[in-house]
Amino acid sequence: MLEMRGITKRFPGVVANDDVSFDLRAGEVHTLLGENGAGKSTLMKILFGLYQPDAGEILLQGRPVTITSPTDAIEHRIGMVHQHFMLVPTLTVAENVALGLPSMRRPFTDLDTVSQRMVEISDQYGLTVDPSIEVWKLSVGERQRVEIIKALYREAELLVLDEPTAVLTPQEVDDLFVILRQMTEAGRGLVFISHKLREVLDLSDRITVLRNGVVTGTTVPAEASLERLAEMMVGREVSLAPDKPPVATGRPRLVLEHVTVIGDRDTVAVDGVDLEVRAGEIVGIAGVSGNGQRELAETIAGLRPAEPGSSVQIDRADVTTADAATTRAAGLAYVPEERMKDGAIGEFDVGENLLLVNHRDPSFLRGGLFDFERIRLHCQRLVDAFSVKTPTLQTPTSSLSGGNIQKLILARELDSDPTVLLAAQPTRGVDIGAAEYIHGQLIERRSEGVAVLLISEDLDEILALADRIAVMYEGRIVQLVDRADATREGLGLAMAGAADRSPG
Amino acid sequence: MQPQSSPAPAMSTVRVVRNLVVLLVALAFVAAACGSDDEEASNVATSECGTDSSFDEATEPVTDLSVAIVAPSASQDLAFTQSMVDAVAALGIEPQITDGTFQVEAAAEAIRGYADSGVDVVIAHGTQFGGSLAEIAPDFPETSFVWGTSSETQGLDNVFAYTPAADQGGYVMGTVAAAISESGTIGMVGPIDAGDAALYVDGFVAGAESAGANVNVSFTGSFGDVPLATEAATAHVGAGADVLTGTAQHVVGAINVASANDIPWFGTQANQESLAPELVVASQVYHWEVVLADIFDQVEAGTLGGEVYELTLENNGLVIEFNGCYELAEDVKNGALETIDGIIDGSISTGA
Amino acid sequence: MSDFFTLSVLVATFASGVRLATPYLLAGLGETVGQRSGVLNLGVDGVMLLSAFGAYWTSLETGSLLLGVGAGLLVGLVMGVVYGIITVIFQAEQGISGIGIYLFGLGFSDLLFEEMVGTPTPIKSLPKYSIPGLSRLPILGEALFEHNLMTYAAFLLVPLVALLLMKTTFGMNVRAVGENPEAADSLGVSVGLTRFAAIMVGNGMAGLAGAALTLGLGIFQPNLTQGLGFIAVALVYFGAWRARGVMLGALLYGIVAAVVLQLKARELIPLEASDLAAMAPAVLTIVALVVVAGRIEAPAALTNPFSRH
Repeated sequence: MLEMRGITKRFPGVVANDDVSFDLRAGEVHTLLGENGAGKSTLMKILFGLYQPDAGEILLQGRPVTITSPTDAIEHRIGMVHQHFMLVPTLTVAENVALGLPSMRRPFTDLDTVSQRMVEISDQYGLTVDPSIEVWKLSVGERQRVEIIKALYREAELLVLDEPTAVLTPQEVDDLFVILRQMTEAGRGLVFISHKLREVLDLSDRITVLRNGVVTGTTVPAEASLERLAEMMVGREVSLAPDKPPVATGRPRLVLEHVTVIGDRDTVAVDGVDLEVRAGEIVGIAGVSGNGQRELAETIAGLRPAEPGSSVQIDRADVTTADAATTRAAGLAYVPEERMKDGAIGEFDVGENLLLVNHRDPSFLRGGLFDFERIRLHCQRLVDAFSVKTPTLQTPTSSLSGGNIQKLILARELDSDPTVLLAAQPTRGVDIGAAEYIHGQLIERRSEGVAVLLISEDLDEILALADRIAVMYEGRIVQLVDRADATREGLGLAMAGAADRSPG
Repeated sequence: MQPQSSPAPAMSTVRVVRNLVVLLVALAFVAAACGSDDEEASNVATSECGTDSSFDEATEPVTDLSVAIVAPSASQDLAFTQSMVDAVAALGIEPQITDGTFQVEAAAEAIRGYADSGVDVVIAHGTQFGGSLAEIAPDFPETSFVWGTSSETQGLDNVFAYTPAADQGGYVMGTVAAAISESGTIGMVGPIDAGDAALYVDGFVAGAESAGANVNVSFTGSFGDVPLATEAATAHVGAGADVLTGTAQHVVGAINVASANDIPWFGTQANQESLAPELVVASQVYHWEVVLADIFDQVEAGTLGGEVYELTLENNGLVIEFNGCYELAEDVKNGALETIDGIIDGSISTGA
Repeated sequence: MSDFFTLSVLVATFASGVRLATPYLLAGLGETVGQRSGVLNLGVDGVMLLSAFGAYWTSLETGSLLLGVGAGLLVGLVMGVVYGIITVIFQAEQGISGIGIYLFGLGFSDLLFEEMVGTPTPIKSLPKYSIPGLSRLPILGEALFEHNLMTYAAFLLVPLVALLLMKTTFGMNVRAVGENPEAADSLGVSVGLTRFAAIMVGNGMAGLAGAALTLGLGIFQPNLTQGLGFIAVALVYFGAWRARGVMLGALLYGIVAAVVLQLKARELIPLEASDLAAMAPAVLTIVALVVVAGRIEAPAALTNPFSRH
């Protein structure tokens, strides 16, 4: 039904799509696989009329078409579920669906009719959602349903789903896949964009891999494996399951007792969390984001006050009320979730960011002023040791890739020889190569006797690295299991709040 | 100086509208001048009702000095700024004018700009410009700055200060207002309780009270907020006032309320007859030219400042201009003249 | 105080507050529509000055109040085109552009007045129109139903603006482009056109506000608004971007001002406290703004120009 031929799209300084060809048949799921920046989203934005290609053509049902705006795309029965939802939070579900469509009751909206048809579509696919509720009150999964309903309401025959599973719990992913299969059975064609290999193999009929704007191959799941797909994405062999040597665990180095934290919206974000992380182990905190992980991490790092009665200890030192500097001095290294907001200063250059936490260190001073030569050597050593790819130490940090920024932060944090490493979403949005490297670093520190607390939404990452796994839901640890006893399904249920509330 | 008849006013010609007011004010001067043959002091004038008169354009300039005016409101605000613009014009001088500088920073720019361009006398017409002047004046020792209203020169020897004894005219008009009020309640709309507005209010209240009437005073907190002045006047009428007065340029709104309710009005700063030709009883008009003439003489003689000038009934800087169209009982008017004499000879205290 | 708490005084005070509130309400309602679309216009005061002058001059020359209102509206719409070109087509920074519009309006209305009129000349002001029947109601009659037509229009526009925003396709588009323009764009809603139209509504109403001000007073003078338009913008925040909220804000401001004036006219406020009391409307409004508006979020895309890349 769709053919894109020889699509080329250049942005200043980068070729996002280089002679890319892609096709889709009715009734199939054709996955576009690639790392961040490989050109998947660009290709689909071209299809949706948000970008114009510099070269190439698009054929629908065999006829060449020009798509210059989303309106054109919608007219051609192309729908798109964007990675960042294209929803207006203050509008109701029905209003979001009706937006941009002609109303039968001009100049007034006709939300009753819209709601009615919406419910019909919902029933058909099991996409239950209340049309009269405002979108900001919906969960992430529900919002995604609204996005799909929007496309179906416009009678989309071809639906593009841009990283639709990134924000979902495993159960929600399963539900989504059921819906998507129903849609293909009804003869619709789906383009599925993802970098999660397991899901891709699970759902796809065909898989096309992009790397640096170029198609590196098209395959079918029967002929592919996780390793093969990863290799096509990265361009070299990668180890997806890092080797984890057995390590004897030591005494508890990070101890949380009844930690309760109030969040930004004056609600209880972390609700009485008890947890200890021993020397030589990695404890993973799984959970859908927004369940208190960020607040917990900030509290441990001394960036957010805990409520009275809470206790945070690092190597037996009470740091419950300590500030960030004191907490660091007690032995904590912290890789924050928002690397560009909390982890590094984009306008600062690489060297300056490396020096951020220890710029008061007297060994960098000479006569009260910075000893720039010594600092340069120190920074160069870190950049080399952690293979941060940067043209110079003076390069503005914001111009590095996500993976390199993360390596830079890791380099800075691990340089202080911490006893506790708190890593929040350390590989989110990071290319596979860098993720591999970061994972290796976490395991290495574990072997050295560091207590590692890993917070991640990526269940695969948790399962690959953690020795014990805690699941956070609505501010509490609802499940705490050894890796050996953990199953993807059990964790998924716990993440969705369905687990037994008693931890253990 | 004989009035000449002017062409009939044509509203379509905007210039004429504008000039009309100039003429009306000028008419007052003319009338004042004409009345001077009955040995009456020229601190009182009565306009001739219903006449359209013109007067000889500019008189011979009294000085060759170049003059600039910086003022906070419009040149033809029928109030504070206009009083100064008219005064300079009455001396036959064509000044450079920067008006509407209600922002002090803008005014300071203008003052410095004039001094910098070599203007001999810069008139900073606004109490609020004092701070800026204290910074600017020492930078231009060859320039004479004239600043008011103020009763001191801030110790700067190239600054002349001027201030109107607005309480004097206020007192006189207060007695007249009390005489024509039947309810004994008079409404006053002022800007803020400071400067010549406060003097006028104090004098008017004292005058009215000496004649047995009560004055309710509203300060609106603003010089230019016409809606507030309108509602303030409306509130006064509701509270039983049957005579209204006010000061600052926002009174145009209050005068409209007087018109709508057929209530007599007393004006100050400039002649406000044009706004309510039937209802303005009298206006206390500032004739800065009296002190300006002296100041220009001093500048020409080489003294650039250091003195404070006061407009009073005695030096004819304050003129009570009665509206010929308003029929004021003869005994009331004579009483006013006696009050003026009493203030001049000191037998009456305005309380200010 | 007994002087003040009599029925007739309270009624007169309320009526006075309603009159004072009228231009704030008209300008605030218009600005609400504009801001809901994501466009802040700090130039409301300048637009009001220009349209007030246009309305005044037209009335002065023709003697027709109706033509005056039309002129005010027209000037507002012309300024809407200007502001739309600046902020939607050229995507200029809105705060600075608005201040530019204000300064232009302030200076140009002054210049036009000096050149074309010269001195404040009274014109016929908008007559009061008692609504038959309703104006006879005890208490409410005088307070609510003896006003000029622009005041009625302003209050009638409150439900109409709410209806426009909440129940029409245009209003839905306005809210969408003010909150998430990318989403609206992805569904084929033209962000530019919608914002331009919202700006036209906003400026048209600022034009009516200017006309209501000058024709209600029957006079014009330079800087007639004295920053009224800025308070109207603040009232949009106070009113949490809702027509009814803006109305409550305008009424609060107008009635507090009217109460203060009424108390002064009855010598119930000592002269020494007079200047202080004059600040009450602004202070109360700011306090209300902090208390109320702190809780409600502005349209997410307010002041953000939109482009696809």
